[in-house]
Amino acid sequence: MKRIGKFSPYLLIAPSFFLSVFVIGYPIFDVVRMSLFKVNRFGKLQKFNGFGNFTKAFSDDVFLQTIGQTAIWTVSVVGGTVLLSIPIAMILNEDFYGRSVARTIILLPWAVSLAMTAVVWTWVVNGDFGTLNMTLNSLGLMDGNYVWLANADAAFTIVILIGILVSIPFTVTIFLGGLTSIPDTLYEAAMTDGASGWKRFRYITMPLLKPFTQIAVVLNVIYVFNSFPLIWIMTNGGPANQTDILITYVYKQAFRFGKLDKAAAGSVVMFAMLVIFTILYFYITRDKHPAAKKAKDADDAVLEDLNVSKA
Amino acid sequence: MSPKLKRSLICWGLLSPIVVVILFPYLTMLSTALTAKSEIFVFEKSWFPKVPTLENFAMVWTERGFGRALANSLYISIGATLLSVIVAVPAAYAMSRLHFKGRNAYRIYLLITQMISPIVLIIGLFRLFAFLGMVNSMNALIAAQSAFFMAFAIWMTASYFDTVPKELEEAAWLDGAGKFTAFMRVFLPLCLPGIAVTALFTFINSWNEYALALTLLRDNASHTVPVAIAFLTGTLYEIEWNLIMAATFMATIPVAIIFASIQRYLIRGLSLGGVK
Repeated sequence: MKRIGKFSPYLLIAPSFFLSVFVIGYPIFDVVRMSLFKVNRFGKLQKFNGFGNFTKAFSDDVFLQTIGQTAIWTVSVVGGTVLLSIPIAMILNEDFYGRSVARTIILLPWAVSLAMTAVVWTWVVNGDFGTLNMTLNSLGLMDGNYVWLANADAAFTIVILIGILVSIPFTVTIFLGGLTSIPDTLYEAAMTDGASGWKRFRYITMPLLKPFTQIAVVLNVIYVFNSFPLIWIMTNGGPANQTDILITYVYKQAFRFGKLDKAAAGSVVMFAMLVIFTILYFYITRDKHPAAKKAKDADDAVLEDLNVSKA
Repeated sequence: MSPKLKRSLICWGLLSPIVVVILFPYLTMLSTALTAKSEIFVFEKSWFPKVPTLENFAMVWTERGFGRALANSLYISIGATLLSVIVAVPAAYAMSRLHFKGRNAYRIYLLITQMISPIVLIIGLFRLFAFLGMVNSMNALIAAQSAFFMAFAIWMTASYFDTVPKELEEAAWLDGAGKFTAFMRVFLPLCLPGIAVTALFTFINSWNEYALALTLLRDNASHTVPVAIAFLTGTLYEIEWNLIMAATFMATIPVAIIFASIQRYLIRGLSLGGVK
């Protein structure tokens, strides 16, 4: 048997390591450095500026307004997604005719580029010729046409709803994984004890899904917080910056207005928030297979309870 | 009525609102793509074009540079898939088979690369490739995308490597095969299906990617499909929705079919990545 030596594992991971340091590590360093310097519009670093760029960003009303909108966007999309995904996953976990077709349809938005989803929905909600107005009119729910994306509240609501729609597939997949890990025997035992459907949901499904819910929330917060194409293509942050979120704000500052200092400071603020979410994620999943382990512990506990109540 | 039939009706009934909302844009897309331009901008609209036509597909292909964008997207997606798989396979082997100091640290490092979205670093990335003179270079986009897709490829591949019994390799070693030969002749063929699935997911991710492609490829001639289509909605004096929907249809349906046929493997990649 040949030995390649103790360095071989490091040689094997080296290509992936260097690729990610080059494409991810260096830009992190560069953005953080840029946020602390005065930068001209061609991206040349001039002199150390301390936290000057941050004060500049935080004294920009649009930036502050954008932070609030980012919070609304993230909380509504993640909240809506999780609330809808649990019942959908529970239905898809039932045994019924056409289940695989239903699963494929629910997962469909995952397969399609967010940019394409945004383009198609822009056409669907088009004020003059879109199919949404046409359908609402023919169902008698509305009279006349409404230009959805011209009004800030309507536009924000629509991008949030579409945000929910495209986040459901991933979240349902997590919950389906969680539901299949709950043994049927638990429900059977509960039924023999005469527990109602609601009680079975409240005392078996909910506690056992808890670790999966936590993971779904944290990962969705990260993805939604970072989500760019939907808003960029559908509203471009408008009207009047009222649908901007941090990521579109930063992008505009950098690539439209050439304000690289503010953009870098904004990026670092976002990066700091992501670091916090990531630490939260590691805290939740700190054991090796945390969800599985917690689910198993929870099972044992419930089984014990059931035994006790039987005895 | 059998209990299962009854249950099926209830389940479909409960799912119907979301199913309608998901399918609504696709029906719109199909209906518009089959409608001639003269019929789009009329106020008496209906779902079904009076005279269904395929001319939009032909036109977008030849006259709006969609063919070019498609070729760019294919080049980039194939490149990003190859590069991701090439860096992922050895790393996945190390993560799945070898015990070494720092293995867990590397696992966490990979997870962190997944938490950072390219767009937070977009200014830094742009400056990096501008410094290297690689803005508008499709190869730069391939490198950038691969770095962000690689972690998923490593987890997914490693989850397949975990299913191959160690004994098979050990038997090959005993028969005198070197580690590399054993890997190439015994191990890799067994894992090919898993690597293929990983490659398909990476391909789809790259095909659908928008933010990096928008930022790094600024020249019209190097636009990818999503960027080219989104561009059509914003620049023209008169937005040609019939053509845009035909293009969107061609860009999404093949990929959606591939995705649907391999979606059941996704759970594996997610579970090993520590999501589950």
